[in-house]
Amino acid sequence: MSALTGPDVLSAAERSAVEALVFPLADDEFVIAERYTEWQVRAPTLESDLALANVAQDEFGHARLWYDVVADLGYDEPELLFEREPDEFYHASLCALPFDAGDWADAVVRSYLYDTAEALRLGSLAGSAYAPIANRIERITTEEEYHREHATTWIERLCVDAEGRQTVQNAVDRLYPYALALFEPGTPEQTDAIESLNLRTESLPSLREQWIETTSTFFESIDVSVPVVEPLPEDPGRHDSHVEAWLSLYEEFTRTYRELDRAHTPTITSEHNDG
Amino acid sequence: MTAEDPCPYPSYEETADGEMPVPARGDSATGIERRVFEALETVEDPEMPISIVDLGLIYGVSVTDAVATVDLTLTYSGCPARDLLCETIEARVERLDSIETCSIQLVWNPPWSIDMVSENGKSELESFGVSVQ
Repeated sequence: MSALTGPDVLSAAERSAVEALVFPLADDEFVIAERYTEWQVRAPTLESDLALANVAQDEFGHARLWYDVVADLGYDEPELLFEREPDEFYHASLCALPFDAGDWADAVVRSYLYDTAEALRLGSLAGSAYAPIANRIERITTEEEYHREHATTWIERLCVDAEGRQTVQNAVDRLYPYALALFEPGTPEQTDAIESLNLRTESLPSLREQWIETTSTFFESIDVSVPVVEPLPEDPGRHDSHVEAWLSLYEEFTRTYRELDRAHTPTITSEHNDG
Repeated sequence: MTAEDPCPYPSYEETADGEMPVPARGDSATGIERRVFEALETVEDPEMPISIVDLGLIYGVSVTDAVATVDLTLTYSGCPARDLLCETIEARVERLDSIETCSIQLVWNPPWSIDMVSENGKSELESFGVSVQ
């Protein structure tokens, strides 16, 4: 049973720790879903087109569940998405990197790297002291398993010949350092608050280590090498710089809102009480 | 959400005999709560066209001072029918004479699964062409 039952019982410090934890989760899901949708009607087969569209839909759903948690703290949807400044988003740059035209290996490798990290992250939140976080985990986790199945099946399929394996290798070389930034913490004060309140029950360095172990074992099993990853890229996202392409993605997803001059938008977040 | 809500973030624990109390079908509900369930029985999920009560989306109903609180889950987190379902539920429940407001609380735990469909719902889905066995 989580000690912190809902928004009404949070002190100002607890509330700020919940926000520091949840915004990066929500932003990762939202931004990677935005990128995945670019594959609609462009994936290599109709089946994979539908599968990736479904993965994107799931990630939008998970973004909605996480944004609901902060919406219950008093934010509305324009503040959360359409009127937030681009440098106030906290996703890791893995989620925002553009796809090169036709580079399907990038899509499936990115999905594998991201979803493996997400599974670990969800595990570290299942015992969260904040009930609205803990209560969401099983729902989200059950929807994540087939994402990894889809990604690993495609990676293995691409690796049946040398040319395909090279496209996977290129994607791993490019994406792996950005994926590691998924485990970048916020400020030391935020990390201390998140961990001392038991909002997350495992540290990011520990999750990072498990992620490296799992992903390295998988890639080695299909003769794909994992690059040396230090230092991190200069534009890893989170609280550091975002990749340049993030700005154009941001312009794109906020465009309709701006052009219609919407003072009020139909919401991705719920107007209803949310548990 | 108001401070007097008895349990703003319900988590549904197993009862002493190991049964989950959800989904709620209203079998033992009486009076106005029974009528709220009857109103909910008229709402169908757009993708699985049976009542949301048979589908197992209702986790609880309570009525206090003409305010009906409905605990609702969805079949999956990305369900695009969320607003449609919520608006339909509110309209149907608020149509009842002794209800002024219907307040929906979205809940996610335990996650909905096909096991939550009632026997009646399963046979209706079968006749619609969806196998749930």
